[in-house]
Amino acid sequence: MGLIGYLLLAAGLFSLGVFGLVTRKNAVGVMVAVELMANAVNLNLVAFSRFHGGNTGQVFALFSIAITVAEVVVGLALVILLFRARGDVTLDLASELKE
Amino acid sequence: MIIPHFTLNDFLPVMPVGVLMAAAIVLMLSEVFLTSTTRTYQAIIAALASIVAGGIAVNNAFEPARLVLQGYAVLDPFSSWTTAMVCLGTFLAVLLSAGFLKHRNAERGEFYALMLFAAAGMSLLSLSAEFITLFINLEVLSVATYALTAFLRRGPRPSEAGFKYFILGAFAAALLLYGAALIYGATGATKLVEVSAALPAAFAKSPALVYAGLGLVLAGFAFKVAAVPFHMWTPDVYEGAPTPVTALMSAGVKAAAFVAMVRTFLFLVKGIDPVIPFTVFSLLALLTMVGGNLLALPQRNVKRMLAYSSIAHAGYMLLGVAALFAPKLVEAGAKVGVLTATPLTGTAQDVSVAVYKGLLFYILGYTVTSLGAFGTISALERREDETRGNTWDLERFAGLAQRKPGWAAAMALFMLSLGGVPPTVGFLGKLFLFSAAVDAGLLGLAIVGVLSSVIGVYFYLRVVVYMFMRPAPIDAPAPFRHWTTELALVTSAVLVVGLGILPGTITEWFSRVGMVFGH
Amino acid sequence: MQSWIPILVYLAIASSVGFLMLGASRVLRVRAKDVPPTRELTYESGEEPVGNAWIRFHPRYYVVALVFILFDVETAFLVPWALNVRALGRFAIVEMIVFVVILLLGWVYALRKGALKWQ
Repeated sequence: MGLIGYLLLAAGLFSLGVFGLVTRKNAVGVMVAVELMANAVNLNLVAFSRFHGGNTGQVFALFSIAITVAEVVVGLALVILLFRARGDVTLDLASELKE
Repeated sequence: MIIPHFTLNDFLPVMPVGVLMAAAIVLMLSEVFLTSTTRTYQAIIAALASIVAGGIAVNNAFEPARLVLQGYAVLDPFSSWTTAMVCLGTFLAVLLSAGFLKHRNAERGEFYALMLFAAAGMSLLSLSAEFITLFINLEVLSVATYALTAFLRRGPRPSEAGFKYFILGAFAAALLLYGAALIYGATGATKLVEVSAALPAAFAKSPALVYAGLGLVLAGFAFKVAAVPFHMWTPDVYEGAPTPVTALMSAGVKAAAFVAMVRTFLFLVKGIDPVIPFTVFSLLALLTMVGGNLLALPQRNVKRMLAYSSIAHAGYMLLGVAALFAPKLVEAGAKVGVLTATPLTGTAQDVSVAVYKGLLFYILGYTVTSLGAFGTISALERREDETRGNTWDLERFAGLAQRKPGWAAAMALFMLSLGGVPPTVGFLGKLFLFSAAVDAGLLGLAIVGVLSSVIGVYFYLRVVVYMFMRPAPIDAPAPFRHWTTELALVTSAVLVVGLGILPGTITEWFSRVGMVFGH
Repeated sequence: MQSWIPILVYLAIASSVGFLMLGASRVLRVRAKDVPPTRELTYESGEEPVGNAWIRFHPRYYVVALVFILFDVETAFLVPWALNVRALGRFAIVEMIVFVVILLLGWVYALRKGALKWQ
């Protein structure tokens, strides 16, 4: 599989992530979608790194993985908070702020 | 393998960040080791740290512009001034928080630690010159602000705001990351200097990749600076977050994201038809100025109105950004080597220097004014209001002038400054920015800017009218008094008037602004 | 294609180990003549399981899990460092000490905060 295959796969995964982010009603589902987007980018980075040679892309991917985990941990903590405040993690209800 | 060799000089730009981070860790640990009941000392530590960091940053601003840390960061006046302004904003926000949290019995070291971490992220973001560092710093700042947004865990509102902010922030970060990955793929580099050198060739080879990358990076930044049409999260998050945090977000986060965006795109437009970035930024500026003001118009909720107003102000800053990419400037830049060559040292006649000065002064003015405005609101909201819906309703401001003339005068001052009425810093900022934009050939856009700010004056003055001309409701709350809150508000008010009347030295300093972008 | 062969071999060995162990225990085990009813229970000790397995876990588990995953992923930076530390010399060691000390401070915070207390 050439570079273009990886790019298409990553683009597909990223689009799936965006789709999930928009359509998922469950907060945990949304988190999964965010993670999917980040990992699509990591796939891209690693593929490009292979294509260009050198290891910049791999380093980028490594940092991106670690940072995304930190982000998702905070996100999950927010989900727990949301659950404690409401006893539910469905985003339909998360509309109290809308006017 | 290249063994890195750094001199102490290399670490100069990150010194303020070091101070902020160290203080943040101390505060975090103070929460688990010192269990004293009064926690005002934590606010004082945080405030002192931001003063020290700001002082170092101001000192750095007079260093010659250069790339440091192997091209991963820059040391230039533009980023140093941004760091200094971020530190000023953090200082004021910390003071506001002290009283705000004390009133709610929620004073915690973690809150200040998170604020300082966010400030460190902002400072680092403004001086990153490489995609990996750019992404990391964006996340440092974002993750800290997500947590801050949901810090007061009373009722569902904060956690909803925090989660909403998280979702959209994570989305924006993913867009930016994807864009950076595509640009890395097209050029094989992540350092902005190398990317910019490799961009013309990459553009000839695979224009689609570069365009997609640039577009995604722009969308990521546009989310962070809350430009229309990427603004929908702003009002909800700004309203749901604790008010001092909202103040920090509206001032610091925005300033840092703006500076990072400007720097990134000054590097990345190489090899592209200069009309494209100019058109895109002009369009964003137009939509954001008009959209922000129109959306703020019907708001009776003052905090929400200020959230929309912060969108409008982002629009004025985008006007400055668009001016940097104006064809006239790019042409002139090609002649004197401003946009293409080494750090500009800058003379007063240079149009781009005027734009930089206008942009920086505007950010400074908006920082002090919005901190003051949100600060006044934060002092007026009561703990008991949290369960009621109308905490920030205009009615709550009715008759404030009779009850608390000092507070009403301060709020009126901040409103006038936001509206751009002389003799405030808001007026001077608009004057500098709009005249620089006109000089750069953006007459039409500048006129739209002035007209839209006239709309703005209406809803800012409405608050003033309520405070001075309406009778007070019976259950009108008295502001919560704490010396830190008052110190912060007096400082902002003095700066708003002082910089509005005597901007002399500051503008002189800002005219010597240089920015590293490409070789 | 050549480079994939070790992975295939690895997969084959890994799965055959599992089958071998299960098969060996099947062949070698002692067979009882009559099966006592307790044998069919989840816990052979006679402890009867109470309630459903699909329960909501206490948030405390999540806090521990979140703290774990945070520190877990940070160790990912140790691998490339360990591969290059010889070439990079003292500078890399100082860098990693700074990194680990900051992580340790975070750990001390979590510990003192009681995030790892299990009761």
